Amino acid sequence: MIFTIFKKELKDTLRDKRTLIMMLVIPVLIFPIILNVFVGISASFSEEAAKKTIKIGIVGNEDNYVVKHMEELPDEMGKKEITFYKDTLELIKAIELDSIQIGMYFVSDFKKYMAEKTPAPVSIYFNATDMGIKDRAELYMSTIEDIATQERYVAMNLKESELRPIETSYNNIASGKEMIGKLAGGILPYIFIAFGFIGCMYPAIDLFTGEKERGTIETLLTTPVLRWQILFGKMGVVVLSGLLAASCALLGLFISIEVLDIVDNEELLNIIHGILNFKFIIMLYALLIPLTVFFAGVMIPIAVYAKSFKEAQSIITPLNIVMVLPAMVGFFPGIELDGTTALIPVVNVVLATKELIAGTLDMGLLALSFAVMIGLAVVAVIVSYKRFDKETNIII
Amino acid sequence: MIEVSDLRKEFILSRQQRKELNTKDTKAVAVDGINFKCQPGRVFSLLGPNGAGKTTTLRMLSTIFKPTSGTINIAGIDAIADPQEARRKIGFLTGTTGLYARLTPDEVIKYFADLYEVSKSDFEERKDRLYTLLDMHDFKGKRIGKLSTGMKQKVSICRTMIHDPEVVVFDEPTSGLDVITAENIIKLIRDCKNDGKTVIFSSHIMSEVDLLCDDMAIIHKGKMLFDGTMDEFKGQMQAENLTAEFIRIVNASSQSKEAQL
Repeated sequence: MIFTIFKKELKDTLRDKRTLIMMLVIPVLIFPIILNVFVGISASFSEEAAKKTIKIGIVGNEDNYVVKHMEELPDEMGKKEITFYKDTLELIKAIELDSIQIGMYFVSDFKKYMAEKTPAPVSIYFNATDMGIKDRAELYMSTIEDIATQERYVAMNLKESELRPIETSYNNIASGKEMIGKLAGGILPYIFIAFGFIGCMYPAIDLFTGEKERGTIETLLTTPVLRWQILFGKMGVVVLSGLLAASCALLGLFISIEVLDIVDNEELLNIIHGILNFKFIIMLYALLIPLTVFFAGVMIPIAVYAKSFKEAQSIITPLNIVMVLPAMVGFFPGIELDGTTALIPVVNVVLATKELIAGTLDMGLLALSFAVMIGLAVVAVIVSYKRFDKETNIII
Repeated sequence: MIEVSDLRKEFILSRQQRKELNTKDTKAVAVDGINFKCQPGRVFSLLGPNGAGKTTTLRMLSTIFKPTSGTINIAGIDAIADPQEARRKIGFLTGTTGLYARLTPDEVIKYFADLYEVSKSDFEERKDRLYTLLDMHDFKGKRIGKLSTGMKQKVSICRTMIHDPEVVVFDEPTSGLDVITAENIIKLIRDCKNDGKTVIFSSHIMSEVDLLCDDMAIIHKGKMLFDGTMDEFKGQMQAENLTAEFIRIVNASSQSKEAQL
């Protein structure tokens, strides 16, 4: 009987355009759009930054050591134009007007400092809101500094290796997978959770409040089906819708990578392929199922109580913030799954997914998170049943 | 057969409801100890003004609401002890019942047949008979949301009768319908009577009651004011027509209650 109700409700839900858009279309499109925008913006930004001709303003002598070497730097390091200014006031004003992007001030006795082999002071002016400018200035200056250092070694008849008593090498033992998992892995579960919630929302309102509003619930209650069977049949569709929305987001991710080839970095692709394996998907669903049941269990009593679609929506929409906001915890790299965070619903799912992506998941903590979510899902189902069984709640 | 004795329904009033109703009472009595019996092959009409307790009574008969006290027997089944079994015997139709707009009549009828666990052969035979009787073949595959009110009413009738119920409960079945559409319901009630089913329907339209019913009860503020046959009602009439007599009985009850207070 539960399956009969489930089948009918699923058919009804899949014929609702609004639900279909929220449940299938938007989740499928979200990853291709996000990745396209992200990759597009970062690629065009770095390309543009590299191509951009930077105007450099100088206060100092034209035969200055730095200026001379800067003019000799190849265009591959970024094109540049050099203009001379009288003083720093003019220089700063020009930066403010964007006539130049970098200003350099060399003291008048700069040559003397160089000749005496003492550190020659240079002041660099730039506007930090103009992205990439400081990087360009640092690139030019570090290159010129290296040239000067080499010249001094030669002039002083010194070996560079003798002046470097310790050679430290820093070796990162974290794999690329772990780095992505810990630093960016929070985004993936966040999107799944957000769509899991939205996917549940419309069917929950439609199948409970909608049925009340349309006056069909009364007929359904006069059939020999038990109320808990009706509840479970409908709840099954709500949960499935949430999972479908999350799955569509996952499908969108696959399409972005495998079909649209949005990510063209070979190393990153290999890491992503290593993450998105069969085991990962099974584990992800093991966490998402109780979470979605919990979402459904929270929404159904509201949908049963509400007298109209509008009323239900006005209560559930703010709930979205309360439920999905904790998922943002996953964005902070320092927060990890431990004995405490495993007890916090939603947060535990995000952190467990993050650890899963990084390949550092502790099975004991996963079991604890899973038990917490199952426990909450059971409580939510009981609350839903109590609400649905209350005769004054189901009839307008 | 429907047998109702000492049926009572109280609703707990929330603070909000007490404020709205301007009362300090924590409970509202919707139905107050009513008794009646509906026989197979006869049409029983439950009459009363708005808010009399008709819908609450019919909802208790169809087991949507659980009575506070009293007994209900539906076709030999104790509807309070075994509501699920009682529901198998009941067909329920109201004037305000909606249908699933995104499904087709075929899908809705099949859904309800499955919920009533109707066998495949019975389902096919009844569906075909009802579709022919109600002239539904032309629109059986169209989405209900695109059907006219009359067509929708036919689907509702078919849905009510697909499990061949012994008892049919109609709650103001013609409310909001035009004369042509209401005629389908009137025909259905007559057909049920002729098939030996027990029919109970609530109404406040005396002409409809006169046309259809064999037995009747008048209910007002949850209490029974009259219970007998239509002929007995007509025989003891003090007013010049049925509507005037109905109004007279209801007003007399209200005045006696006010006098008691």
